[in-house]
Amino acid sequence: MNTLWENIFKKQAQQRSLTRILSDNILFQDLSTKELSLVEEIVHERHYRKGEFIFQQGEVGVGMYIIAQGSVDITLYDNQPLVPDGSKHVLVTRLEAGDFFGELSLVEDGGRRSASSIAAEDCILIGFFKPDLLEILERSPTVGIKIVFRLAEVLGRRLKETTDKIRVLRRELGHIQNKSTDPL
Amino acid sequence: MMSKNDDKLIKREARVKLLAVTLLLVFALIIILRVENMLVSTLLAIVITYSLKPIVSYLERKGMSRTTSIVIPFIGVGLLLALGSWALSPIISQQLATAKVELPKFIAGFKTLLDRIGYHISYYVGPVMRDSFSEKAANYLQTLLQGSLTDLPTIMGKIFTVSILAPFFAFFLLRDGRTIMKHILRLVPNNLFELFLNLFHQINQQMGGFIRARALEALIVGGVTWLGLSLIGFPYSVFLGVFAGVTNLIPYIGPIIGATPAFVLALVYQDSATTIILMGGVYLAAQLIDMLFIIPLVVAKIVNLHPVTVVVVIIIGSQLLGVLGMIISIPVTSAIKLTVSAVYNHVVGFRV
Repeated sequence: MNTLWENIFKKQAQQRSLTRILSDNILFQDLSTKELSLVEEIVHERHYRKGEFIFQQGEVGVGMYIIAQGSVDITLYDNQPLVPDGSKHVLVTRLEAGDFFGELSLVEDGGRRSASSIAAEDCILIGFFKPDLLEILERSPTVGIKIVFRLAEVLGRRLKETTDKIRVLRRELGHIQNKSTDPL
Repeated sequence: MMSKNDDKLIKREARVKLLAVTLLLVFALIIILRVENMLVSTLLAIVITYSLKPIVSYLERKGMSRTTSIVIPFIGVGLLLALGSWALSPIISQQLATAKVELPKFIAGFKTLLDRIGYHISYYVGPVMRDSFSEKAANYLQTLLQGSLTDLPTIMGKIFTVSILAPFFAFFLLRDGRTIMKHILRLVPNNLFELFLNLFHQINQQMGGFIRARALEALIVGGVTWLGLSLIGFPYSVFLGVFAGVTNLIPYIGPIIGATPAFVLALVYQDSATTIILMGGVYLAAQLIDMLFIIPLVVAKIVNLHPVTVVVVIIIGSQLLGVLGMIISIPVTSAIKLTVSAVYNHVVGFRV
């Protein structure tokens, strides 16, 4: 399950300047220094305490977060037990500095968060939201298109990972079903 | 896992931040409502900001800096206004001079009109307060007009202050609006941050569309009225056009209020039936253009309020802030509706 949430675009990032954090992120990696300054002017820096929710599963999502410092837990909740011990909450993955999450909300219309995110330690996040993306597209379409193109690439890769994971799970399910029908 | 102390600290911080942001907004609201000329200046600044924003964004897309992109439309609009005033000043001064000369004649005509109406009433229902009615009404009108003339320096002073303050505020709203908003958002507690951001964005989008559409509507209705009345040679066309444009901002009853002065003038001056029909045709044409083209194309899709709600909020607006309240009641109600629905979705419509 972890690979679904593991950030494949992760880079080593520990409390660096905002420009560095943004330029290291895949979404903004095609932007020049001047173009990055427009994004810097627009993004939001947020501080979270250990144990504080960044967002909760089911809330309307507005955008994504890049971890500038600290780490964040992604957890899932379901009415049915999710793990053999009967717990309805499960830790999906822990994201570190440089990772990002929630990017689907940048393109979804009124979509709700599919998981919760909680600060695993005191952390600083850079928030980039749908209104920010729309403003960039309005003020500088060239910059906006570069970001949207990279965003499409990220979402495409996430989709591919999900499809691969479903294939693996189906195969495992087939094995289990075969075993249970096998008389020996 | 989070300890109880951590949880308490997080909750306390959220409460303090929420209190700070609420106090800040309440303080800003008090200043806007209590300081003289601030409400009108702020509202006008918002209208200027939203009207110029598409031009500013267009110039920015062409590669200009934000400040240059703001300065250019300001200079452009300033020049247009200066040229417009220069071109219209002979007409305005002539119409003002005519009004000054014709004021006693107008009052006398108004009294005659009331006498005639009173005569017709008494014909059917007998002499009920007829003698004193027209006298009283004419006296009231004279006092009112004289009062307006006495208040003219104060009104001119207010107009002067607003015309300086509003563009000044608008310039900084366009240049630093986002930074100001970012500073306010910093005070918003983490658990409400996304809700605030989304809400602000939605209100901003809706207000922008609404204000631009209504400004265009007022401009077109005012322009058509002025042009039509000038063509048929009706007096005071400039003032009647401006009045029709401004009052058109009030839904439903605005167009009626806008056309009333022209009909009163026509009745007082005892204009011919042809003139009255032509003048009515001008107002009708302006309304038809508004109803057939502007409203369906630009206004209707922006705010979705029930007609009963619209009428009720206009009445409330008029009670609270007069004509200004009638004009701003719709956007304010629409913002409140948006806020309530977003908060409801966030708090109640939560689903796992």
